[in-house]
Amino acid sequence: MRAVIEARDLSRWYGNVLGISEVTLEIQPGITALLGPNGAGKSTFMKIITGQLKPNIGEAMIYGERVWNNRRIFRQLGFCPEADAFYEELTGFEFLTGLLSLYGFRQSECRERAEHVLKVVELYDVRHRQVRSYSRGMRQRIKVAQAIAHDPEILILDEPLSGLDPLSKRRVIKLIKEFKAHGKTIVVSSHVLPEVEAMTSEIVLIHQGKILARGDIYFIRELIDTHPHMIRIKSPAFRELARILAPEDYILNISFNQEDQSVIFETHHRDRFFNRLNDLVLESDLKVDEITSPDDNLQAIFDYLVGK
Amino acid sequence: MKSEILRVFSFYFFLGKKSTRTKIFFVLSLVSVLLAVVIRVYRLAGHWTESGQVVFQNFLMVFFLQFLIIILALFYGTSTVAEELEGRTLPYLSSRPIARAAIITGKYLAYLSLTFMIMVSAVLASFLVLNLDQDFRLADLLTVIRYSLVLLLGLAAYLAFFTFLSTWLKKPILVGLAFGFGWESVIQYFPGTTQKFSVAHYLKSLLPQYTTSAGKLGFLFIRLEPSRPAIAVMTLLLIASVFLALASLIFSYKEYLFED
Repeated sequence: MRAVIEARDLSRWYGNVLGISEVTLEIQPGITALLGPNGAGKSTFMKIITGQLKPNIGEAMIYGERVWNNRRIFRQLGFCPEADAFYEELTGFEFLTGLLSLYGFRQSECRERAEHVLKVVELYDVRHRQVRSYSRGMRQRIKVAQAIAHDPEILILDEPLSGLDPLSKRRVIKLIKEFKAHGKTIVVSSHVLPEVEAMTSEIVLIHQGKILARGDIYFIRELIDTHPHMIRIKSPAFRELARILAPEDYILNISFNQEDQSVIFETHHRDRFFNRLNDLVLESDLKVDEITSPDDNLQAIFDYLVGK
Repeated sequence: MKSEILRVFSFYFFLGKKSTRTKIFFVLSLVSVLLAVVIRVYRLAGHWTESGQVVFQNFLMVFFLQFLIIILALFYGTSTVAEELEGRTLPYLSSRPIARAAIITGKYLAYLSLTFMIMVSAVLASFLVLNLDQDFRLADLLTVIRYSLVLLLGLAAYLAFFTFLSTWLKKPILVGLAFGFGWESVIQYFPGTTQKFSVAHYLKSLLPQYTTSAGKLGFLFIRLEPSRPAIAVMTLLLIASVFLALASLIFSYKEYLFED
């Protein structure tokens, strides 16, 4: 089966700064997540495949056609940009009908589609409020709404969950999954692994402008799980915690911070560690004030994967 | 393409009507009405003997021609691309099934309509303030129509030029200011053919008060060597068409990057 989206040797620079380098990728229907730290090249890739940017080298194709200035492709494309940008003086309803009118729908159809999609993203009750008065979550959802209102075959979402509260995240994830259920193609970018896991198992790891790995979530997990994780637990009983967990075979190292009453565990089996910690807290009276992961960010994992 | 231009036009005309900028410029255009009220009061007090028509043509037209159409065209024209870049809204347009040239042409026509509406309401209101009395005849409104059409040609030419700057330059407003209030203000007074390198020259060539040196304010119009009206109209239309075509061409091929 021919890929919906094809990137062949895509490279793009911004002056001396590298955006992406020699990216070759084929994307099939379903949800594909681009996972990478900030500045990895995810947005550049998305801008190229949505015709916002031209590649310096290589080509981006959708349904076998070049994307730049291709109106036929744009009709089948829904793009949710990363920037929190709107025509602020418009109401949510006007914003959607206005953008829908650019597809050439009749006014009545624009209204119907806008009303429908406003209900889907649960903004129907606030449709006559100016976008500038919307909360961050509402703005993110109206941005997703404008991308899906014309019922495109391909949906490109650049960090759609960024800045959302957990409830809004769930709503958007549900929406994306529903879109997939209709056999459509969705490309979504994120720098947060658990968010991506909630949406899809098909992941492309992108780092410093290059595709680092591609596979399902289990493969990526395996890669990531070989990376030792640091987990800091702040507790009045931090020494007791360390004593109980020290014999576990997945604990590589333990260090203390007397000043803020915390203990840092280093483990290469994060899931097993957290399962044990959950049991421990439930079984005993141990009080835990705070759990943080000093290196639990994608950058650290990526640096580890590329051998930095 | 025509339908695409119409779609963009409708969207931006609606957006423009709601914008704070349009409201601000509408208020600014009312300065002419205020001036008209002051002059009318002055005339009623017997300090000014010229007729309303003469005052309108020789005094208020300077405001419209040398200031209002330039400022309107400057702020709307140079914002055509810049506002989408600064507001980061360009992807909403450039990911739609619309030719890039249609985006520019549609926005241009929307802004031309908006600015013309602002201007014509100020022209009409100030004309009526100066001329509405027992001698007023409907035929007097022909003056308003004639002057409005000339101002429309001026807006079309300036707006096309500033739209072109917007597609070409990152910060078009400074160059636009220098052109609108520097070049245009100076070159039109140069003798010989030099003055023909200004838009204002062709606009003035279409107005009777500039082509003769009669009247109280005749000293303001010295040295105009008018082009023939047909040539002036054609040149203004040519300026508008050429710069609009250039703007569309640049926008069709150029990539626009946000600041970061």
